[in-house]
Amino acid sequence: MPPFEFLASPLLGYLANGLVYSSIIVLGGIGLSLVYSIGGFANFAHGDTMTVGAYAAFVTYGVVGAISGGVLGLPVGFFVALLAGIAVAVVVAVLTELVIYKPIDLDSIGLLITSIGVAFVYRAIIRMGFGADFRQYDIPTLRPIEWLIPYGVRITRHDVVIVLSALLLVGGLHVLLQYTDFGRKMRAMADNPDLARVSGIRTGRVKLWTWVIGAGLAGAGGVFLGLYNQLTPRMGFSLLLVVFAAVILGGIGSVYGAMLGGIVIGMVNQFMPALPQLGRLFPIIPRECDLPLVTSQCGIPIGIEYANAVAFLIMVAVLIIRPNGIMGEEN
Amino acid sequence: MVNGDDNIDESRRKLLQYSAVAGLAGFAGCSTTGNGDGSDTDTDADGQSGGGDGSTETEAQSGGNSDPYTIGMIDSLTGSLSAFGERNQRGKNLALSRVNDVGIDGRQLKIQVEDSESQAQSGVTAAQNLVNQAGVPFVIGAVGTGVTMSVYESVIQDTDVVQLSQSSTGLGPTKFPDLLRVSPSGRSQANALADIIAEDGYDEVAVTYVNNNYGQSLADAFMSRWDGDIAYENSHNQEQASYSNLISQMADSGAEAWVFIAYQQGYSTMVNEMYESGYEAQMYGADSIQGDTVLENTPEGSMDGTKIVTPSAPVENENYQEFASAFQEEYDREPTSWASFAYDCVMVASLSIAAADEFTGAAISNVVRDVTRPEGEEVTSFEQGMQILQDGGGPSDIDYQGVSGPIDLDENGDPRGFLQVLEVQDHSYVGIDFISG
Repeated sequence: MPPFEFLASPLLGYLANGLVYSSIIVLGGIGLSLVYSIGGFANFAHGDTMTVGAYAAFVTYGVVGAISGGVLGLPVGFFVALLAGIAVAVVVAVLTELVIYKPIDLDSIGLLITSIGVAFVYRAIIRMGFGADFRQYDIPTLRPIEWLIPYGVRITRHDVVIVLSALLLVGGLHVLLQYTDFGRKMRAMADNPDLARVSGIRTGRVKLWTWVIGAGLAGAGGVFLGLYNQLTPRMGFSLLLVVFAAVILGGIGSVYGAMLGGIVIGMVNQFMPALPQLGRLFPIIPRECDLPLVTSQCGIPIGIEYANAVAFLIMVAVLIIRPNGIMGEEN
Repeated sequence: MVNGDDNIDESRRKLLQYSAVAGLAGFAGCSTTGNGDGSDTDTDADGQSGGGDGSTETEAQSGGNSDPYTIGMIDSLTGSLSAFGERNQRGKNLALSRVNDVGIDGRQLKIQVEDSESQAQSGVTAAQNLVNQAGVPFVIGAVGTGVTMSVYESVIQDTDVVQLSQSSTGLGPTKFPDLLRVSPSGRSQANALADIIAEDGYDEVAVTYVNNNYGQSLADAFMSRWDGDIAYENSHNQEQASYSNLISQMADSGAEAWVFIAYQQGYSTMVNEMYESGYEAQMYGADSIQGDTVLENTPEGSMDGTKIVTPSAPVENENYQEFASAFQEEYDREPTSWASFAYDCVMVASLSIAAADEFTGAAISNVVRDVTRPEGEEVTSFEQGMQILQDGGGPSDIDYQGVSGPIDLDENGDPRGFLQVLEVQDHSYVGIDFISG
């Protein structure tokens, strides 16, 4: 019998799944939020930048192959591919900024619409090169980690890598923003670009580096999304709506808000199966109910297909109370 | 982009044609056709001999014209069903080149392909382009049942344009006798699925279906046939990054037989997540979960024992084998049933155009069923059909035997389908049984 068996519960399983899914959303969300705060517009091509990263990693992995060694069920070749995915996403996004967004010089709505067009171009090019079929990295799919199963947690070592990588990247970004000179410049520019410029900050350079970091995170998010699920030309775009919800919930422009929002949205999604059986899962709630609009197990009878709808409902509720999001600045 | 160019070429050519035949009246007709809706186009065509589609008609009858016959096709070139669209296009191209090797009374067939983006809205726009602007009398389309129904109800229904769907297997189209299809209705599939699960000795199932017309209608049909318990029943959305919440719920239901009415991409995500979570279940599924991409993207052995009911081509027939080897030569891969459906759509369209008195929707719809069903000589190629017509035969002297099945369109516009039961063994599909529709 495993130690601490009393902890075993479906809730623990949902929590673990939620953590993995949240990590993916957070990786997409912080890049999006960063570009919003410095670039000044909601970049709809962000999801497709993730796709670009994933496909770049796919190609690289195909070339370099597994390479022996590796950690947590992932060969060294995968980490090479991850770097390549990040690099290509960065190059593509920076080129787009230099060739399209910067010269076009529109207001934020104009840039938003432009970015939708850019998203279509990315996706079309990927589709031309790889076709519409879905595919996977040539990495063996893993079985769940044995010793966690008795607790109701069914995740693989790949999932662990996803969570750890998200923590690492988010932690790195935190250090960069809080403790480096460059981070201070970025925060200054996010607060007030004009003031930042007159006080001698090279805003153009900061903006470009923001694109590098934002797109790099998107690329990494895309590579992990491909590991988590599969690669399709629509993979990033399909996730983008949820990522936006997370970013807006957290407070658009705030990197920490994006993290928090990503966790809330990811958790809501994975905790959906708990809703119809709240009474069975939570000791504080009575086990049996006889109320209208409630299941016999004191739950909310709602199917998992409404996960996104519930997430958006929570987003709306939060925005009514805090119009700028959880971490958004009041102004 | 290619479609866009086609469109421009198309309209430029039309414009020249109009000016040559009908002078200024032709221009007037052109603009009327462009702006009017479907029913207007018909009135124009009938009423004004010199304008709009009327001119095309007159030329078709005169016989001295060598312009191609243009029909339309709405396909999922992009979007969630684009994998089916790609397969359709391969079948279509093969059929088209074969038809044009023979020619329809000395004229070529041209198919203007429009993208539905696998969505109803874009499908309807595509249909409007084809029917109202290009003025085609015959539309092959579409893939998803929801898209096919929307196209029919918003554009085709009030015109005499013939619509023949290449890939929709949902139950909805049966309600509309004039909405034809080559792919068999899902009801026979759903019934077969329920019977097989009962035969295998399960009395409890967990069912999940894709959240659209196809999934809903097939699941309804399945559940109305199924006598046992339904421990879990829920829809899922397409293209989700994660279905682990769904998988957890299906596992919690305690049912040992899981039924998937899903699309390939979603299904293979689910299989991966089942594998990664260590859940085992006897899986059953509709044809939409079957495909090489699913095999390629799921771990070896993760689906073994899964049974799938799929509309099947009569693989033992000579015409199918001939088709398969030609397909293999052209594309270096095995044909899928989706390629064979699109192939047959083009064949049926060509035979009906050849057999019809004139190149109009009304004339073609009079003959389209006749060329597919019995009381006629069984033909397996376009050439044989043309031979019968040239020897003085009529539409009912032809009974086209498709590479996807006998077709035999009935009064509901549905074909007589052949079903095959597949089982996944050693991570590949093995046919274990045939069921006649």
